[in-house]
Amino acid sequence: MTKDEIISKLQDKFGSDLEVQQLNQPEPFVYIFKEKYHQFCEFIKKEPDLDFDYLVILCGVHFPESRFEIVLCLSSHEKHHNLIAKVKLDKDNPEIETITDIWQGANWHERETMELFGIKFLNHPDPRPLLLYDDWDYGYPMRKGWTGPDFIPMPDK
Amino acid sequence: MGLIEKVPANIERLPGGGVITTSLEWVMNETRASSLWYMLFGLACCAIEMMAAGASRYDFDRFGMMFRASPRQADLMFVAGTVTHKMSKRVKILYEQMAEPRYVIAMGGCACSGGPFYYDCYSVLKGIDKVIPVDVYIPGCPPRPESLMEGCLKLQEKIRKEKISDWASDKKLA
Repeated sequence: MTKDEIISKLQDKFGSDLEVQQLNQPEPFVYIFKEKYHQFCEFIKKEPDLDFDYLVILCGVHFPESRFEIVLCLSSHEKHHNLIAKVKLDKDNPEIETITDIWQGANWHERETMELFGIKFLNHPDPRPLLLYDDWDYGYPMRKGWTGPDFIPMPDK
Repeated sequence: MGLIEKVPANIERLPGGGVITTSLEWVMNETRASSLWYMLFGLACCAIEMMAAGASRYDFDRFGMMFRASPRQADLMFVAGTVTHKMSKRVKILYEQMAEPRYVIAMGGCACSGGPFYYDCYSVLKGIDKVIPVDVYIPGCPPRPESLMEGCLKLQEKIRKEKISDWASDKKLA
């Protein structure tokens, strides 16, 4: 499917819960509202025309003034099309439903995002820390303005 | 005996006999310097250059250097690559498992000082010398096999200058 076909298909289904980002990119970029996130993921995986069977990456973004975001890059092996989906999360208490039940590959991506950004994934099957060392007690290092032991900020910032 | 011709200053020829006299210091230092077995241990892209240096094109074997897959059989450790805080504990354990005399070469910018991960990085150790003592530093990102060889030759020079009186103490490298 082309970019416009994917966007119109998603807009038909989700309407005002979906916000399309107009960017000069080959893939469609969409914001989905947090409440419809799990339903959206189920839909794009199971809908035969879309068939997004592969979650390329799930990661977090921190905007210190306003919000957290999570970004999903999705791809389809059969249809050869891509989609970037984003969700805006609360600034002070970022939490969202897990999608490990839809794409198994989300498991470690969500654990990493939980550990590095402090975004809570509800109903995650295995919410242990993944990457940082065992006695880590210095907060969430990928948040803006974070400092910790042995951390040297770039001098010209 | 070809060796006698090579090092006349160090080995005295006794007339008619099968006995030679030389200094223990010279013999020990020479044997240590010319069979530096290094540990097969790579952490990042520098390890690829280390493998190239060990393989047939650059051929570390001609310095008597062979890789060993166990720290207990190794004399030399190349810290080849980015050392994270998480890995630094494991590197220290590997160093402690090596039998003395043991030597360390910090290969590449990351192992020397953190390299490209010096600023704005939460996970990378800023130089392996914060954890274990280092004998030779090799800059580069990654250093070419020739640089690694130069570092090994420098280490051999250093080993040849060791004093027998320092073996038992910590200041083995005068």
